[in-house]
Amino acid sequence: MIAPKHILGTFDEALASLRNNVLMMSGLTERSLERAMKGLVNRDDNICANAIADDEEIDQLEKQIDKDGVDILLRFQPVASDLRRVVSAMKLSSNLERMADQATTIARRARKLNQHPPLPEVELMKPMYEHAMSMFKDSVDAFVREDVDLGRAVVPRDEKLDELNRLASHKLVERMAHDPEQLRGYLNLIFIGRCLERVGDHATNIAEDAVYAAAAEDIRHQTLVASS
Amino acid sequence: MTTPERSVVDRVDRPAEPMPADEAVSACTFRTKDLSIWYGDKRAIDNVTLDIASNAVTAIIGPSGCGKSTFIRSLNRMHELVPKTRVEGTVLLQGEDLYSSNVDPAIVRRRVGMVFQKSNPFPTMSIGENVIIGLRLNGVRNQKFLNERLERSLRMAALWDEVKDDLHKPGTSLSGGQQQRLCIARALAVEPEVLLMDEPCSALDPIATAKIEELIYELKTTYTIVTVTHNMQQAGRISDYTAFFYLGRLIEFGPTTKIFTNPSERQTEDYITGRFG
Repeated sequence: MIAPKHILGTFDEALASLRNNVLMMSGLTERSLERAMKGLVNRDDNICANAIADDEEIDQLEKQIDKDGVDILLRFQPVASDLRRVVSAMKLSSNLERMADQATTIARRARKLNQHPPLPEVELMKPMYEHAMSMFKDSVDAFVREDVDLGRAVVPRDEKLDELNRLASHKLVERMAHDPEQLRGYLNLIFIGRCLERVGDHATNIAEDAVYAAAAEDIRHQTLVASS
Repeated sequence: MTTPERSVVDRVDRPAEPMPADEAVSACTFRTKDLSIWYGDKRAIDNVTLDIASNAVTAIIGPSGCGKSTFIRSLNRMHELVPKTRVEGTVLLQGEDLYSSNVDPAIVRRRVGMVFQKSNPFPTMSIGENVIIGLRLNGVRNQKFLNERLERSLRMAALWDEVKDDLHKPGTSLSGGQQQRLCIARALAVEPEVLLMDEPCSALDPIATAKIEELIYELKTTYTIVTVTHNMQQAGRISDYTAFFYLGRLIEFGPTTKIFTNPSERQTEDYITGRFG
């Protein structure tokens, strides 16, 4: 739903600028994750280096979004949906920055793996990556389109990612016992799996924030509330 | 033996539990039902049904001319001072119909005190006389009682420490913020059940405004307060419930947190977010 124009044009401009920066940060984070994974699969150190270099720009955007968000709160004291949009944008940027950190970690681990003979178990990371990225893209879409149903649908998908990570870790630990020579390599893959699992967690956070921004509904920690 | 360190949790100062802001008002002081008010041919209030919670602050918001002031003035029949006024529907104060033919408007105004946008201390009276004039007009002559009530009202209005040595000075010698608190003290001196405030801070600087807001927060433990404000942030800070009026109609009423985070009505959302028109 597109909100009608604010009586202060400068408010609409400030909100649009905040939103554009969030979109740019999402795009850069997505690219960074893609590059990190490509560097791992293709065993390409240069692509890994590019993924790591992306992090700097993403960090700067996080600071910019926080600054702009605080500025909007200070200057316009927004309420209702405007307030939710600003707060959610600031929380989104924090999650995106952490996702980009995961991309950097994946790229660094990939560079270490590239120094040794290839491990076929890298394949275990692919379904995790695809699932995590699909959650990520849908969560950002939910925020941009203010799509409550899509945001809500992303949250339970995290369980599958957790399960994929558990299975991959289990297999990698088994491989360690059989092939202790490659212990470091398997460990690096376990850490990469953990990073992808964290990407799913951040995508879940973004989806939850998207639902809050669009519908003022807090869907976080619902299992905890239900069981208590 | 060493004393065990207090945990971090123990060091946290816990604020008092906030008042639960339920959707429905549980105990109400005022209940208006199908209330309509005309000034001549002009309908200023259109079929308003609203319960006003006891010992809570209810903020009335809305654009100029929406009927906010008329509505709160109808709660102590102050609007009747305007000629050619007509009222339909009912206003119940603690279950009693304020517009019943056997109800004296002067008694209603004693039970329901009011503070206006512009502070209006009586210019010829001292600070002390301004506070107790209501009691004097009601025939109270006992000086000891008057002195006690004077101090108590000024203390409740958070003004005692600032004026206790200057009670004989004119009320108009005080600053704008002090004059407004003096008017609040004057309203409190007759021990009303309700305090109505019509934009009480609109002519005050931020420091004086903060003092009045803190005062409102403290007074709600004893009084039911209804305030009109154009300041959205102020409504968000001080009130427990908010009612949004537009063109004389009540568009939305609910807990302030709900109104300012997720209003149900599009008109409310457009107004509070500055997209009205």
